[in-house]
Amino acid sequence: MAEKFDNLEEHLEKFVENIRQLGIIVSDFQPSSQTGLNQKLNFMISGLQDIEKCRQQLHEINVPLEAFEYIDQGRNPQLYTKECLERALAKNEQVKGKIDTMTKFKSLLISELSKVFPEEMAKYKAIHGDDPPS
Amino acid sequence: MTEMFSTLFGQNEAQGPPGSSSLGFGPGKPPPPLPQNQVPMAGQMPPQLGDEGPALRKPGAMNEPFYLLRELPVGNELTGNTNLITHYNLEHAYNKFCGKKVKEKLSNFLPELPGMIDCPGTQDGSSLRSLIDKPPVCGNSFSPLTGALLTGFRLHTGPLPEQYRLMHIQPPKKKSKHKHKHHRPQDPLPQETPSDSDPKKKKKKRDDDPDRKKKKKDKKKKKNRHSPDHPGLAGSQPNSNSLR
Repeated sequence: MAEKFDNLEEHLEKFVENIRQLGIIVSDFQPSSQTGLNQKLNFMISGLQDIEKCRQQLHEINVPLEAFEYIDQGRNPQLYTKECLERALAKNEQVKGKIDTMTKFKSLLISELSKVFPEEMAKYKAIHGDDPPS
Repeated sequence: MTEMFSTLFGQNEAQGPPGSSSLGFGPGKPPPPLPQNQVPMAGQMPPQLGDEGPALRKPGAMNEPFYLLRELPVGNELTGNTNLITHYNLEHAYNKFCGKKVKEKLSNFLPELPGMIDCPGTQDGSSLRSLIDKPPVCGNSFSPLTGALLTGFRLHTGPLPEQYRLMHIQPPKKKSKHKHKHHRPQDPLPQETPSDSDPKKKKKKRDDDPDRKKKKKDKKKKKNRHSPDHPGLAGSQPNSNSLR
């Protein structure tokens, strides 16, 4: 998996570097630079072809659209990952809290019901067995 | 007793909690049996023949006097009770992103990328969203430019107008920030002492002050040691006397 990304990264870096050099040529253009410019333009096309080839290898990779929003806003997309992890952990803790509370409630309810409805609760326990610790 | 117990649960069911069907308590589940002294209400559905009813009612009949009993969830089912970050081996990612402060700007993530990339993409129409919403109209393949096509890229000589020199604009680097930090504490000082206009001189003075003091002290000590009225020696005598 990492090799695929490395391959794409390498091509992207080459492409960006080519564009940068193209920018330098264009920023102060001299008549003698025309050949170099033409060469760079064709390098750009071959770079795009290389990137296009990488697409087939990364077909199964899904990128969340929210990450694109971060990039569009000029923000570090790692912040999205960070927020996702923090949100996941917070939700995880919340759910665990609910489960713990419900477990306590269940055991309390069973003990209280056993006092009021001992026969029924005996039948209930016979069906469900003893309350498993969840 | 049994009637009371079933009535308790029966009432709850009759009220019909909102969205009960989505929670799995709705259709297909047997309706609560009415107590003997209770008359069936018009709103309640009588058991219909030909439905799945009898088949589903079977376990209820087996579990007398309980009719809403369901199988307990399997214990090893993955729920929020377990730490899911640990479960999916994401501790490393969590520590990496949440342990330390992640830099806010995109240029911190892509430091090698030329140009000003921290500006919102919507400003110059370079956003990825616009690329998704309105994909460029082009063919499926990239073909190299031939001689005739390259004539369209013949440029005029001379520098590019200022507004198009986007590649040369780089986001400010952090080094300058460090410099600011060094200078900041010195900035308010000249206001307090307007006579010292040069902050460098002041810094030098400050830096030298402890050294000078030390040197002065050393000189004094040396002098005192050689002189007969050395306080250290004089001080030692009373102590020795007191011991005696």
